[in-house]
Amino acid sequence: MTAQSGATEKALESIAALSGRSHREALALLPDLQRHGAQTVEAWLTAARRLLEYDIDAGGAFVQGTREAERISETVMPWTAQALRFLQWPAATAAIDGFMKNLPRAFGTLGHAGEPRWAEIGLRWYGRHAESGRLYFNTPVLDLAGRQGIAGIEQLCDPAEEMFERRKLMLATYLPGAVRVRNLLGAQAIVPWATRGADIMQGGRVRGEAYFRLESEESLSALIDHLPGFRMADRNHLLGLLLEIWFERRFDLKESAWSPEKGRPFVETDGRSLFLPAVMPDREEAILAVLHSAGRISFGSFERAALDTIFRETGLDLPDSGAISWAPLYERYGEDLLRFQLLFDLCDDLRIDCRIQRVVPNYLSRLHAAGVEHRVRLLDARPYYEAALISVRGALALLRGDAAGVPADFDPRLKPLLEPAATLADAFRIANDLYAGSILAPVIDAEVFRSAYLPGRAPNAARAVHAQEGEDQPQQTKAGADADQEKSEGEDSQEDEQNAESGGDQSAAQEKMVASDSKSSGASRQTLQRTQTPDGNEKGAEKGKPYPEWDYREGRYKRNWCWVQEKPLADSNATEADRLMAQYAMALKRLKKAIQAQKPTRMAPKVRQFDGDDIDLNAAVTYAAERIAGMSPEPSIYRRREIRQRDVAVTLLADMSTSIMQHLPEGGGRLVDRIRAGVLLFAESMEEVGDAYSIAGFASKYRDNVSYFTIKEFDQPYTPAVRSVIGGMSGRLATRMGAAIRHATARFAGVQCGRRLLLLLSDGRPEDYDDGGDRRYLHEDTRMAVKEAVACGIHPYCITVDTMANQYLPQIFGPGHYMVLDHINSLPNKLPEIYLRLRR
Amino acid sequence: MTTAAKRVRGVEHDILQMPQASDVSPYYEPQGNEVAIFEAAYRKRLPIMLKGPTGCGKTRFLEHMAAELKRPLVTVSCHEDLTSSDLVGRFLIEGAETVWQDGPLTRAVKSGAICYLDEIVEARTDSTVVIHALTDHRRKLSIEKKGQEIDAHEDFLLVISYNPGYQTVLKDLKQSTKQRFIAINFDFPNEETERKIIANEVPGMSPDIVNKLVAAGRKARLLKDHGLEEATSTRALVYAANMMSAGLDPVTACQVAMINPLTDDIELAEAMLEIIRAHFQA
Repeated sequence: MTAQSGATEKALESIAALSGRSHREALALLPDLQRHGAQTVEAWLTAARRLLEYDIDAGGAFVQGTREAERISETVMPWTAQALRFLQWPAATAAIDGFMKNLPRAFGTLGHAGEPRWAEIGLRWYGRHAESGRLYFNTPVLDLAGRQGIAGIEQLCDPAEEMFERRKLMLATYLPGAVRVRNLLGAQAIVPWATRGADIMQGGRVRGEAYFRLESEESLSALIDHLPGFRMADRNHLLGLLLEIWFERRFDLKESAWSPEKGRPFVETDGRSLFLPAVMPDREEAILAVLHSAGRISFGSFERAALDTIFRETGLDLPDSGAISWAPLYERYGEDLLRFQLLFDLCDDLRIDCRIQRVVPNYLSRLHAAGVEHRVRLLDARPYYEAALISVRGALALLRGDAAGVPADFDPRLKPLLEPAATLADAFRIANDLYAGSILAPVIDAEVFRSAYLPGRAPNAARAVHAQEGEDQPQQTKAGADADQEKSEGEDSQEDEQNAESGGDQSAAQEKMVASDSKSSGASRQTLQRTQTPDGNEKGAEKGKPYPEWDYREGRYKRNWCWVQEKPLADSNATEADRLMAQYAMALKRLKKAIQAQKPTRMAPKVRQFDGDDIDLNAAVTYAAERIAGMSPEPSIYRRREIRQRDVAVTLLADMSTSIMQHLPEGGGRLVDRIRAGVLLFAESMEEVGDAYSIAGFASKYRDNVSYFTIKEFDQPYTPAVRSVIGGMSGRLATRMGAAIRHATARFAGVQCGRRLLLLLSDGRPEDYDDGGDRRYLHEDTRMAVKEAVACGIHPYCITVDTMANQYLPQIFGPGHYMVLDHINSLPNKLPEIYLRLRR
Repeated sequence: MTTAAKRVRGVEHDILQMPQASDVSPYYEPQGNEVAIFEAAYRKRLPIMLKGPTGCGKTRFLEHMAAELKRPLVTVSCHEDLTSSDLVGRFLIEGAETVWQDGPLTRAVKSGAICYLDEIVEARTDSTVVIHALTDHRRKLSIEKKGQEIDAHEDFLLVISYNPGYQTVLKDLKQSTKQRFIAINFDFPNEETERKIIANEVPGMSPDIVNKLVAAGRKARLLKDHGLEEATSTRALVYAANMMSAGLDPVTACQVAMINPLTDDIELAEAMLEIIRAHFQA
């Protein structure tokens, strides 16, 4: 310290003048820094001075961070140089602070090769967008790297580079979400997630930011969509079918509020409904899980009598009504409650699974096979998992009558549980017995606890339960029962909500432990909303009816993606309708005549047939005459009557987007005038033809706001009021055609007609505000919607006035299933004509 | 086991075949009192309607009864284009003249056979009306085109089959037609009967396999209300057993006999396969 050069002294002095604290710290650091040589010390002091001059706090952070940085990196110059680079920007203090704090970690985990890369990425981002850089340097290096060193950081930031260049997406928006997405789903999920986010961002900044924060419903469903495994929601129907097959009753399947961050997904039950997570690891586990949970409902895990016994034995009172929490039952086990829970569940699950085995052949062997295959990964959970597996193997052998096959370590105390007469109370007693002498290690970690369950099984106490009354339930009068029913249903929905929201009824101790789960409570509330809305409550009615949408980029449907709201068209314009009627009076007259001429009034006999009901006398005479004349005529001498059934129903679906409001290039009004006239003539013609028909229009803004305007229903008479509504048709918003087609298809459901036609009247390609400029997206979706309609026995046909339509309609509707009208003025006349031609 | 229809193979023979004394009746396992009902109705010559799902044994029952009663059986499978001429008869040209040819119903009426109109709802309503006069006290068949009518042979009996719930909305028998019949309800046989049937139809099946097959079939029937037009029939089970006895593995046999013919719905097929796997894959 004696040999400090003049330069060092000077530098120290100027530091002292700037900040006394930094001066003291610098003095303390000098001995360590001197190992690197006098030049380094000088450079460092200069840097510290410059940073202090730039900002007191920035310099302070630099000096403060030096000790650790130097200790870990055993260098000074490289990171000092990096820190100085911040000086080119104003107000970078927060970033410098983050940089210095993360330096030791960066050197520690990324090494000398990785650290410069880490700094480089951050500095580049800082240059582009200060907030992004600041956030980057303040994100712990470990989070950025995701246990993969610098490769992990690059993996995380490379998509951001691309998104920045293509979509001007900032790292600050993307980073926190991306880290979580990678933790949950792995690196490959980042790009699709971010791409979708950039699309949404274009639709609206607030929505986009919520998406990236993983707070919006959209981002959660996007995440869940990318989870690997067996998608429960998509296979709800199959699972319901299987339950009905095996248990011969229906079960109420609900979506649980599970999200990937909550750890291992379980199928849970509250004694009434099954709560399915969005995704299970595989099909086998999913099937085992629903069978198991349904078994718990069916085989007395919620029987009031048994619950009562348990509570009484524990010295507690069973609540008379409402949901019952398991918590009081476990309280007396204190810190060790998870161990008891595991043992109790092992016993009751074994009992349930043996009962299920009697209904579902080979259930136990499947459970065992799945259990063997999925061997638990967590070491602490293994003893419990193995114990459960052994109990299943033992039960399997015993039920087969194969006493020799029972594993040696099968606990004979479990035997009574294999009997069909065993109850929950027996399981409780045996569990207590096992617990008393248990040598299994206590469990305190929630993850260990969750891992200890065999595939398909789940913590039984996850939800508050509804007790099932026994057979001896007192008979009530019908009215009384109904009222009761209503009341309890009202309660239900509340309870369910709570149940779904809290993700279960965890005991206090456990709640503390799984507190990390509840961090995402905002997210779970979102999921909850999604679960609730389709139930047809008021909110649901507002939101409309959900339809899937086809995403060609991923080659799959996005479930409940589009929401269609059905509404009547508010505007009506009788004057306009009358005017149009007058304007097209001649055309209408012609049309009606044509229709009458085409209308078959009697059964048309077909003559000169090779077979038939009757002899065609003329043909027969000719035949006989020719025969006698020595010719060899064909014996086509029958006639046959054929009934032509006019078994047609048609929906005219008009595109009512903004574009129809444009003025016609050739003058003479707007496109909407021709559309009104066309629809009007169509309706008038249909009255003449006599086929069932409905008229509707559609417009959209974003996927959750597709309006379907009903103008005339199938069974609604064609009145002047309907005519006025047609006169008042106008354009608004965009064209999400697929959703409208799906809704129109659904509306055909009640129509009993052999031939069903969906006539689409359009003026342009399908597009919407949130298609991210990707035209192909809605094209492909519309194509799929058309395919779905065809599969439902409906023939979609598109009439368009977009002269460019040849470029896209063949792909969507298929050749021959569309018509492009080159002259918009011909639309009113053509529309009914086309229909008549189609229905022939 | 020989029956009238099976005696000569590969050679056309008349639709009217009088059962021979040496004929053995086709195998039929009674589900209830249907045999007694049929015999009683036959004694009084009352027309009979067999109601029940496809493949539950209606046709087999009738074959059995016809053989037991030693009456020839004339079967007409009804279809959409079946007209009254197809039942009663029509004029044909032969050489330079027209010749009347009796339809199967007329021939049965004349010869005292049992005439079986299978799936009568499929036929057009105008053709079902011709049977009206035959099915009440008059027992007459009028041949409008010839301006004649025939009093039915005293042994003649009309039997129709009818599958309720099959395209119910569009096609149903008129009440006036339905009420002329004694109706026997058929359903899929109970478990034990079904096991017997399969064991009998496909000799040499192990009882264990038969048990599993029947159990799987019964489970599969629960899917009927989920978009299956028809439930898994006893016939399908017999087919599956046949495929197994021909050497196919049980799951595949069930798949080709019980699932694939029944549905194109992927989800339903998957659910059914799940049933079969559970039963056959230990």
